[in-house]
Amino acid sequence: MELINREDHQKLYMQLYEILKKKIESKEWTIGFQIPTEQELCEMFNVSRATVRTAIIELVRQGYLKRQQGKGTFICKNIITEGLTMITNLKEPMLEEGGSFSLNTLARTVMMPVDDLHLLLDIPNDKHIIYIKRIWSSGNKPVILQEVCIPYHICPFLLEEDIENNSLFELFERKYGIKITNVKNFMEIAYLTPDEARILGQSDNSAAFVLKQQFYSGETLIMYSRSIKGHNRFHFYIEFERKAA
Amino acid sequence: MSESKVVKDLMIGIFEYPHIPYWFSINQAIRIIKVSFISTKKYPEPMAILVFDEKYNLMGTLTLKDILKGLEPKFLKPSTKAQVPEENESGLSIIWDTLFDKSAKEMAEKPVSEIMVTAKYFVEPDDPITKAAYMMVHHDLVLIPVLENKKKFVGLVRMVEIFDELSNAIMKE
Repeated sequence: MELINREDHQKLYMQLYEILKKKIESKEWTIGFQIPTEQELCEMFNVSRATVRTAIIELVRQGYLKRQQGKGTFICKNIITEGLTMITNLKEPMLEEGGSFSLNTLARTVMMPVDDLHLLLDIPNDKHIIYIKRIWSSGNKPVILQEVCIPYHICPFLLEEDIENNSLFELFERKYGIKITNVKNFMEIAYLTPDEARILGQSDNSAAFVLKQQFYSGETLIMYSRSIKGHNRFHFYIEFERKAA
Repeated sequence: MSESKVVKDLMIGIFEYPHIPYWFSINQAIRIIKVSFISTKKYPEPMAILVFDEKYNLMGTLTLKDILKGLEPKFLKPSTKAQVPEENESGLSIIWDTLFDKSAKEMAEKPVSEIMVTAKYFVEPDDPITKAAYMMVHHDLVLIPVLENKKKFVGLVRMVEIFDELSNAIMKE
Protein backbone atom coordinates (compact mmCIF):
# COMPACT_ATOMS: atom_id res chain seq x y z
CA MET A 1 0.00 0.00 0.00
CA GLU A 2 1.22 3.47 -0.86
CA LEU A 3 1.88 5.55 2.24
CA ILE A 4 2.17 9.20 3.06
CA ASN A 5 5.68 10.51 2.66
CA ARG A 6 6.40 12.94 5.47
CA GLU A 7 9.62 14.16 3.87
CA ASP A 8 7.59 15.45 0.94
CA HIS A 9 6.73 19.15 1.19
CA GLN A 10 3.40 18.55 -0.49
CA LYS A 11 0.57 18.93 1.99
CA LEU A 12 -0.48 15.70 3.65
CA TYR A 13 -4.06 15.95 2.47
CA MET A 14 -2.89 16.44 -1.15
CA GLN A 15 -0.81 13.27 -0.83
CA LEU A 16 -3.74 11.41 0.65
CA TYR A 17 -6.01 12.78 -2.07
CA GLU A 18 -3.62 11.44 -4.72
CA ILE A 19 -3.35 8.03 -3.04
CA LEU A 20 -7.12 7.63 -2.76
CA LYS A 21 -7.65 8.93 -6.30
CA LYS A 22 -5.22 6.31 -7.58
CA LYS A 23 -7.16 3.58 -5.81
CA ILE A 24 -10.30 4.70 -7.62
CA GLU A 25 -8.71 5.20 -11.02
CA SER A 26 -6.92 1.88 -10.90
CA LYS A 27 -10.25 0.28 -9.97
CA GLU A 28 -8.81 -1.11 -6.74
CA TRP A 29 -11.91 0.57 -5.34
CA THR A 30 -14.73 0.03 -7.79
CA ILE A 31 -17.99 1.92 -8.38
CA GLY A 32 -20.35 1.63 -5.43
CA PHE A 33 -17.58 0.52 -3.05
CA GLN A 34 -17.92 1.98 0.42
CA ILE A 35 -14.61 3.48 1.44
CA PRO A 36 -13.22 3.04 4.99
CA THR A 37 -14.52 5.47 7.62
CA GLU A 38 -12.61 8.64 8.48
CA GLN A 39 -11.34 6.99 11.64
CA GLU A 40 -10.10 3.92 9.74
CA LEU A 41 -8.37 6.12 7.17
CA CYS A 42 -6.68 8.08 9.97
CA GLU A 43 -5.25 4.84 11.31
CA MET A 44 -4.34 3.40 7.90
CA PHE A 45 -2.31 6.46 6.91
CA ASN A 46 -1.39 7.75 10.36
CA VAL A 47 -2.78 11.21 9.70
CA SER A 48 -5.21 13.51 11.48
CA ARG A 49 -8.93 13.55 10.95
CA ALA A 50 -8.71 17.02 9.42
CA THR A 51 -6.32 15.70 6.76
CA VAL A 52 -8.63 12.81 5.92
CA ARG A 53 -11.66 15.07 5.80
CA THR A 54 -10.03 17.61 3.49
CA ALA A 55 -8.87 14.88 1.09
CA ILE A 56 -12.37 13.37 1.02
CA ILE A 57 -14.06 16.73 0.47
CA GLU A 58 -11.80 17.29 -2.51
CA LEU A 59 -12.62 13.85 -3.95
CA VAL A 60 -16.33 14.58 -3.50
CA ARG A 61 -15.88 17.91 -5.23
CA GLN A 62 -14.07 16.29 -8.12
CA GLY A 63 -16.88 13.77 -8.50
CA TYR A 64 -14.98 10.65 -7.38
CA LEU A 65 -16.87 10.14 -4.14
CA LYS A 66 -20.39 10.60 -2.90
CA ARG A 67 -21.34 11.00 0.74
CA GLN A 68 -24.59 9.52 1.93
CA GLN A 69 -25.86 10.81 5.22
CA GLY A 70 -25.81 8.10 7.85
CA LYS A 71 -24.53 5.44 5.44
CA GLY A 72 -21.01 6.35 4.49
CA THR A 73 -18.91 7.47 1.56
CA PHE A 74 -19.06 5.61 -1.74
CA ILE A 75 -17.22 5.58 -5.04
CA CYS A 76 -19.32 7.44 -7.60
CA LYS A 77 -20.48 6.22 -10.87
CA ASN A 78 -18.32 8.20 -13.24
CA ILE A 79 -20.87 9.83 -15.50
CA ILE A 80 -18.35 11.13 -17.98
CA THR A 81 -16.96 7.78 -18.98
CA GLU A 82 -20.35 6.10 -19.05
CA GLY A 83 -21.92 8.64 -21.37
CA LEU A 84 -21.27 9.47 -24.97
CA THR A 85 -17.83 10.86 -25.58
CA MET A 86 -18.32 14.06 -27.45
CA ILE A 87 -15.93 16.41 -29.09
CA THR A 88 -16.46 20.11 -29.13
CA ASN A 89 -14.66 22.98 -30.76
CA LEU A 90 -12.63 24.84 -28.24
CA LYS A 91 -13.30 28.55 -28.41
CA GLU A 92 -13.11 31.41 -26.06
CA PRO A 93 -15.81 30.98 -23.47
CA MET A 94 -19.50 31.49 -23.97
CA LEU A 95 -19.38 33.95 -26.83
CA GLU A 96 -22.31 33.65 -29.15
CA GLU A 97 -21.62 33.14 -32.82
CA GLY A 98 -21.73 36.16 -35.04
CA GLY A 99 -21.10 38.83 -32.42
CA SER A 100 -18.08 41.04 -32.51
CA PHE A 101 -16.25 41.32 -29.25
CA SER A 102 -13.34 43.33 -28.02
CA LEU A 103 -10.99 42.03 -25.41
CA ASN A 104 -9.26 44.09 -22.74
CA THR A 105 -6.68 42.87 -20.31
CA LEU A 106 -7.31 44.27 -16.85
CA ALA A 107 -4.41 42.50 -15.19
CA ARG A 108 -1.54 40.23 -16.09
CA THR A 109 0.76 39.50 -13.23
CA VAL A 110 2.33 36.74 -11.14
CA MET A 111 1.02 35.69 -7.76
CA MET A 112 0.82 32.85 -5.28
CA PRO A 113 -2.25 30.63 -5.29
CA VAL A 114 -4.73 31.67 -2.60
CA ASP A 115 -7.78 29.90 -1.19
CA ASP A 116 -8.07 26.59 -3.04
CA LEU A 117 -6.48 27.70 -6.31
CA HIS A 118 -3.57 25.31 -5.82
CA LEU A 119 -6.05 22.43 -5.69
CA LEU A 120 -7.77 23.62 -8.85
CA LEU A 121 -4.40 23.83 -10.58
CA ASP A 122 -3.03 20.69 -8.96
CA ILE A 123 0.20 22.37 -7.78
CA PRO A 124 1.82 22.85 -4.36
CA ASN A 125 0.54 26.02 -2.70
CA ASP A 126 3.94 27.72 -2.67
CA LYS A 127 4.37 27.73 -6.46
CA HIS A 128 3.96 30.91 -8.51
CA ILE A 129 1.14 31.27 -11.01
CA ILE A 130 0.45 33.64 -13.87
CA TYR A 131 -2.81 35.48 -13.30
CA ILE A 132 -4.72 37.13 -16.13
CA LYS A 133 -7.94 39.07 -15.71
CA ARG A 134 -9.73 40.26 -18.81
CA ILE A 135 -13.03 41.45 -20.07
CA TRP A 136 -14.89 40.84 -23.29
CA SER A 137 -17.14 43.64 -24.43
CA SER A 138 -19.71 43.86 -27.16
CA GLY A 139 -19.95 47.43 -28.36
CA ASN A 140 -19.24 49.29 -25.15
CA LYS A 141 -21.03 46.81 -22.96
CA PRO A 142 -18.99 44.45 -20.83
CA VAL A 143 -20.17 40.86 -21.35
CA ILE A 144 -17.80 38.37 -19.79
CA LEU A 145 -15.24 38.78 -17.06
CA GLN A 146 -12.62 36.08 -17.13
CA GLU A 147 -9.83 35.18 -14.73
CA VAL A 148 -7.18 32.78 -15.96
CA CYS A 149 -4.54 31.06 -13.83
CA ILE A 150 -1.60 29.17 -15.27
CA PRO A 151 1.22 27.58 -13.24
CA TYR A 152 4.23 29.78 -13.98
CA HIS A 153 6.47 26.87 -14.95
CA ILE A 154 4.04 25.77 -17.70
CA CYS A 155 4.59 28.84 -19.84
CA PRO A 156 6.78 31.61 -18.36
CA PHE A 157 6.89 33.42 -21.69
CA LEU A 158 3.19 34.13 -21.57
CA LEU A 159 3.97 37.28 -19.62
CA GLU A 160 5.57 38.80 -22.69
CA GLU A 161 2.99 37.74 -25.27
CA ASP A 162 0.33 39.82 -26.96
CA ILE A 163 -2.67 38.12 -25.44
CA GLU A 164 -5.24 40.61 -26.70
CA ASN A 165 -4.75 39.75 -30.35
CA ASN A 166 -3.85 36.08 -29.97
CA SER A 167 -5.96 33.43 -28.37
CA LEU A 168 -4.37 31.74 -25.38
CA PHE A 169 -5.16 28.35 -26.90
CA GLU A 170 -3.37 29.25 -30.11
CA LEU A 171 -0.34 30.57 -28.27
CA PHE A 172 -0.16 27.38 -26.26
CA GLU A 173 -0.55 25.08 -29.22
CA ARG A 174 1.22 26.85 -32.07
CA LYS A 175 4.00 28.67 -30.30
CA TYR A 176 4.78 26.54 -27.30
CA GLY A 177 3.67 23.12 -28.51
CA ILE A 178 1.39 22.64 -25.51
CA LYS A 179 -1.59 20.79 -26.86
CA ILE A 180 -4.82 21.04 -24.93
CA THR A 181 -6.32 17.59 -24.89
CA ASN A 182 -9.07 17.73 -22.32
CA VAL A 183 -11.27 20.36 -20.69
CA LYS A 184 -13.37 19.89 -17.60
CA ASN A 185 -16.26 22.33 -17.33
CA PHE A 186 -18.12 23.21 -14.15
CA MET A 187 -21.08 25.54 -14.35
CA GLU A 188 -22.86 27.33 -11.55
CA ILE A 189 -24.89 30.36 -10.62
CA ALA A 190 -23.14 32.74 -8.28
CA TYR A 191 -23.59 36.22 -6.89
CA LEU A 192 -21.35 38.98 -8.09
CA THR A 193 -18.87 40.53 -5.71
CA PRO A 194 -18.94 44.35 -5.65
CA ASP A 195 -15.80 44.42 -7.76
CA GLU A 196 -17.17 42.01 -10.37
CA ALA A 197 -20.48 43.87 -10.46
CA ARG A 198 -18.70 47.14 -11.09
CA ILE A 199 -16.67 45.72 -13.96
CA LEU A 200 -19.69 44.03 -15.55
CA GLY A 201 -21.94 47.07 -15.05
CA GLN A 202 -24.39 45.12 -12.90
CA SER A 203 -25.81 45.81 -9.50
CA ASP A 204 -24.07 44.39 -6.44
CA ASN A 205 -24.90 40.87 -5.46
CA SER A 206 -26.88 40.15 -8.63
CA ALA A 207 -26.87 36.61 -9.95
CA ALA A 208 -24.44 35.62 -12.66
CA PHE A 209 -23.56 32.55 -14.64
CA VAL A 210 -20.13 31.13 -13.88
CA LEU A 211 -18.18 28.71 -16.02
CA LYS A 212 -15.10 27.17 -14.41
CA GLN A 213 -12.77 25.25 -16.67
CA GLN A 214 -9.73 23.10 -16.09
CA PHE A 215 -7.58 22.60 -19.18
CA TYR A 216 -5.34 19.59 -19.48
CA SER A 217 -2.50 18.66 -21.73
CA GLY A 218 -2.42 14.90 -21.33
CA GLU A 219 -2.29 14.33 -17.58
CA THR A 220 -1.01 17.79 -16.77
CA LEU A 221 -3.33 20.54 -15.67
CA ILE A 222 -2.10 23.60 -17.51
CA MET A 223 -4.75 26.22 -16.90
CA TYR A 224 -7.77 27.07 -14.81
CA SER A 225 -10.22 29.70 -15.88
CA ARG A 226 -13.30 31.24 -14.31
CA SER A 227 -15.62 33.16 -16.60
CA ILE A 228 -18.55 35.19 -15.32
CA LYS A 229 -21.44 36.34 -17.39
CA GLY A 230 -24.04 38.82 -16.14
CA HIS A 231 -27.59 37.58 -15.57
CA ASN A 232 -29.11 39.49 -18.46
CA ARG A 233 -26.99 37.56 -20.92
CA PHE A 234 -27.85 34.06 -20.03
CA HIS A 235 -27.94 32.39 -23.39
CA PHE A 236 -24.81 30.59 -24.35
CA TYR A 237 -23.99 28.03 -26.94
CA ILE A 238 -21.98 24.84 -26.90
CA GLU A 239 -22.02 22.46 -29.81
CA PHE A 240 -21.17 18.83 -29.22
CA GLU A 241 -20.29 16.48 -31.96
CA ARG A 242 -20.30 12.72 -31.62
CA LYS A 243 -16.75 11.45 -31.72
CA ALA A 244 -16.06 9.23 -34.73
CA ALA A 245 -16.11 5.61 -33.61
CA MET B 1 37.93 45.61 -1.51
CA SER B 2 36.25 43.47 -4.09
CA GLU B 3 35.80 46.22 -6.59
CA SER B 4 35.38 43.87 -9.49
CA LYS B 5 32.22 42.29 -8.12
CA VAL B 6 28.99 43.70 -9.45
CA VAL B 7 25.37 43.26 -8.48
CA LYS B 8 24.64 40.56 -11.05
CA ASP B 9 27.32 38.33 -9.49
CA LEU B 10 25.38 38.23 -6.25
CA MET B 11 21.78 38.68 -7.24
CA ILE B 12 19.20 35.99 -6.68
CA GLY B 13 16.20 35.17 -8.85
CA ILE B 14 12.90 36.91 -8.25
CA PHE B 15 11.10 33.58 -7.91
CA GLU B 16 12.96 32.89 -4.69
CA TYR B 17 10.26 35.05 -3.12
CA PRO B 18 6.46 34.84 -3.22
CA HIS B 19 4.67 37.30 -5.50
CA ILE B 20 1.31 38.93 -4.86
CA PRO B 21 -0.72 41.67 -6.52
CA TYR B 22 -1.38 44.88 -4.58
CA TRP B 23 -5.09 44.15 -4.17
CA PHE B 24 -4.51 41.06 -2.01
CA SER B 25 -5.67 41.55 1.55
CA ILE B 26 -3.26 41.45 4.48
CA ASN B 27 -5.06 38.25 5.44
CA GLN B 28 -4.16 36.62 2.14
CA ALA B 29 -0.57 37.80 2.51
CA ILE B 30 -0.40 36.24 5.97
CA ARG B 31 -1.61 32.93 4.60
CA ILE B 32 1.04 33.06 1.89
CA ILE B 33 3.74 33.73 4.47
CA LYS B 34 2.55 30.76 6.49
CA VAL B 35 2.50 28.46 3.47
CA SER B 36 5.74 29.65 1.88
CA PHE B 37 7.89 30.11 4.95
CA ILE B 38 6.50 29.09 8.28
CA SER B 39 4.86 25.72 7.60
CA THR B 40 7.80 24.55 5.47
CA LYS B 41 10.30 25.97 7.96
CA LYS B 42 12.06 27.90 5.26
CA TYR B 43 13.24 31.08 6.85
CA PRO B 44 15.04 33.12 4.23
CA GLU B 45 16.63 36.33 5.38
CA PRO B 46 14.70 38.54 4.94
CA MET B 47 11.31 36.86 4.95
CA ALA B 48 9.54 38.99 2.42
CA ILE B 49 6.84 39.05 -0.21
CA LEU B 50 7.07 41.02 -3.45
CA VAL B 51 4.06 43.14 -4.37
CA PHE B 52 3.28 43.81 -8.04
CA ASP B 53 0.79 45.91 -9.99
CA GLU B 54 -1.61 44.60 -12.63
CA LYS B 55 1.06 44.97 -15.31
CA TYR B 56 3.57 42.95 -13.31
CA ASN B 57 5.70 45.90 -12.29
CA LEU B 58 7.23 45.69 -8.85
CA MET B 59 5.48 48.07 -6.45
CA GLY B 60 6.95 47.19 -3.11
CA THR B 61 7.95 44.63 -0.53
CA LEU B 62 6.22 43.31 2.52
CA THR B 63 8.02 41.81 5.50
CA LEU B 64 6.70 40.26 8.69
CA LYS B 65 7.43 43.52 10.44
CA ASP B 66 5.42 45.54 7.91
CA ILE B 67 2.44 43.27 8.47
CA LEU B 68 2.55 43.53 12.26
CA LYS B 69 2.98 47.25 11.97
CA GLY B 70 0.06 47.46 9.56
CA LEU B 71 -2.23 45.48 11.83
CA GLU B 72 -1.66 47.57 14.89
CA PRO B 73 -1.81 51.29 14.38
CA LYS B 74 -0.43 51.98 17.84
CA PHE B 75 2.87 50.61 16.61
CA LEU B 76 2.91 53.43 14.14
CA LYS B 77 3.67 55.88 16.89
CA PRO B 78 7.43 55.72 16.86
CA SER B 79 9.36 55.74 20.09
CA THR B 80 11.86 58.53 20.22
CA LYS B 81 14.78 56.42 21.35
CA ALA B 82 15.47 52.96 20.10
CA GLN B 83 16.05 50.23 22.71
CA VAL B 84 14.66 52.28 25.56
CA PRO B 85 11.59 50.86 27.23
CA GLU B 86 9.10 53.63 27.62
CA GLU B 87 6.05 51.82 28.92
CA ASN B 88 5.87 53.80 32.10
CA GLU B 89 6.26 57.22 30.62
CA SER B 90 3.85 56.86 27.74
CA GLY B 91 1.30 54.55 29.25
CA LEU B 92 2.22 51.85 26.74
CA SER B 93 1.83 49.17 29.40
CA ILE B 94 -1.92 49.59 29.09
CA ILE B 95 -1.75 49.55 25.35
CA TRP B 96 0.06 46.18 25.31
CA ASP B 97 -3.15 44.55 26.43
CA THR B 98 -5.12 45.98 23.57
CA LEU B 99 -2.65 45.20 20.82
CA PHE B 100 -3.92 42.87 18.14
CA ASP B 101 -7.46 42.82 19.37
CA LYS B 102 -10.46 42.62 17.11
CA SER B 103 -9.65 45.84 15.33
CA ALA B 104 -6.59 44.03 13.98
CA LYS B 105 -8.96 41.52 12.36
CA GLU B 106 -10.69 44.32 10.56
CA MET B 107 -7.37 45.79 9.55
CA ALA B 108 -6.38 42.46 8.03
CA GLU B 109 -9.03 42.99 5.35
CA LYS B 110 -7.14 46.00 4.02
CA PRO B 111 -5.16 45.63 0.81
CA VAL B 112 -1.43 45.08 1.17
CA SER B 113 -0.78 48.21 -0.88
CA GLU B 114 -1.60 50.22 2.23
CA ILE B 115 1.10 48.69 4.36
CA MET B 116 3.85 47.61 1.97
CA VAL B 117 7.14 49.44 1.72
CA THR B 118 7.15 51.11 -1.68
CA ALA B 119 10.06 50.17 -3.91
CA LYS B 120 11.93 53.42 -4.42
CA TYR B 121 15.54 52.38 -4.63
CA PHE B 122 16.94 50.12 -7.32
CA VAL B 123 20.27 48.93 -8.64
CA GLU B 124 21.35 47.83 -12.11
CA PRO B 125 23.00 44.44 -12.79
CA ASP B 126 26.35 46.10 -13.53
CA ASP B 127 26.37 48.40 -10.51
CA PRO B 128 29.15 47.72 -7.98
CA ILE B 129 27.99 45.85 -4.89
CA THR B 130 29.26 48.67 -2.71
CA LYS B 131 26.47 50.79 -4.16
CA ALA B 132 23.92 48.17 -3.09
CA ALA B 133 25.54 48.02 0.36
CA TYR B 134 25.39 51.79 0.67
CA MET B 135 21.70 51.88 -0.23
CA MET B 136 20.83 49.11 2.19
CA VAL B 137 22.54 50.79 5.06
CA HIS B 138 21.42 54.34 4.41
CA HIS B 139 17.83 53.64 3.35
CA ASP B 140 17.27 50.82 5.81
CA LEU B 141 16.39 48.25 3.14
CA VAL B 142 16.26 44.48 3.47
CA LEU B 143 16.17 43.76 -0.24
CA ILE B 144 17.03 45.81 -3.29
CA PRO B 145 15.39 45.06 -6.63
CA VAL B 146 17.69 44.83 -9.62
CA LEU B 147 16.33 46.51 -12.73
CA GLU B 148 17.78 46.11 -16.20
CA ASN B 149 17.80 49.40 -18.14
CA LYS B 150 15.75 50.94 -15.33
CA LYS B 151 12.76 48.86 -16.38
CA LYS B 152 12.92 45.10 -16.37
CA PHE B 153 12.93 43.50 -12.91
CA VAL B 154 15.53 40.76 -13.15
CA GLY B 155 16.63 39.93 -9.62
CA LEU B 156 17.18 40.87 -6.01
CA VAL B 157 20.16 41.56 -3.82
CA ARG B 158 20.03 40.80 -0.13
CA MET B 159 22.07 41.88 2.82
CA VAL B 160 23.41 38.38 3.49
CA GLU B 161 25.18 38.01 0.13
CA ILE B 162 26.45 41.58 0.21
CA PHE B 163 27.74 41.13 3.74
CA ASP B 164 29.41 37.85 2.88
CA GLU B 165 31.16 39.26 -0.16
CA LEU B 166 32.33 42.46 1.47
CA SER B 167 33.45 40.70 4.64
CA ASN B 168 35.44 38.14 2.63
CA ALA B 169 37.35 40.95 1.09
CA ILE B 170 38.05 42.47 4.49
CA MET B 171 39.20 39.17 6.01
CA LYS B 172 41.60 38.58 3.16
CA GLU B 173 43.42 41.86 3.56
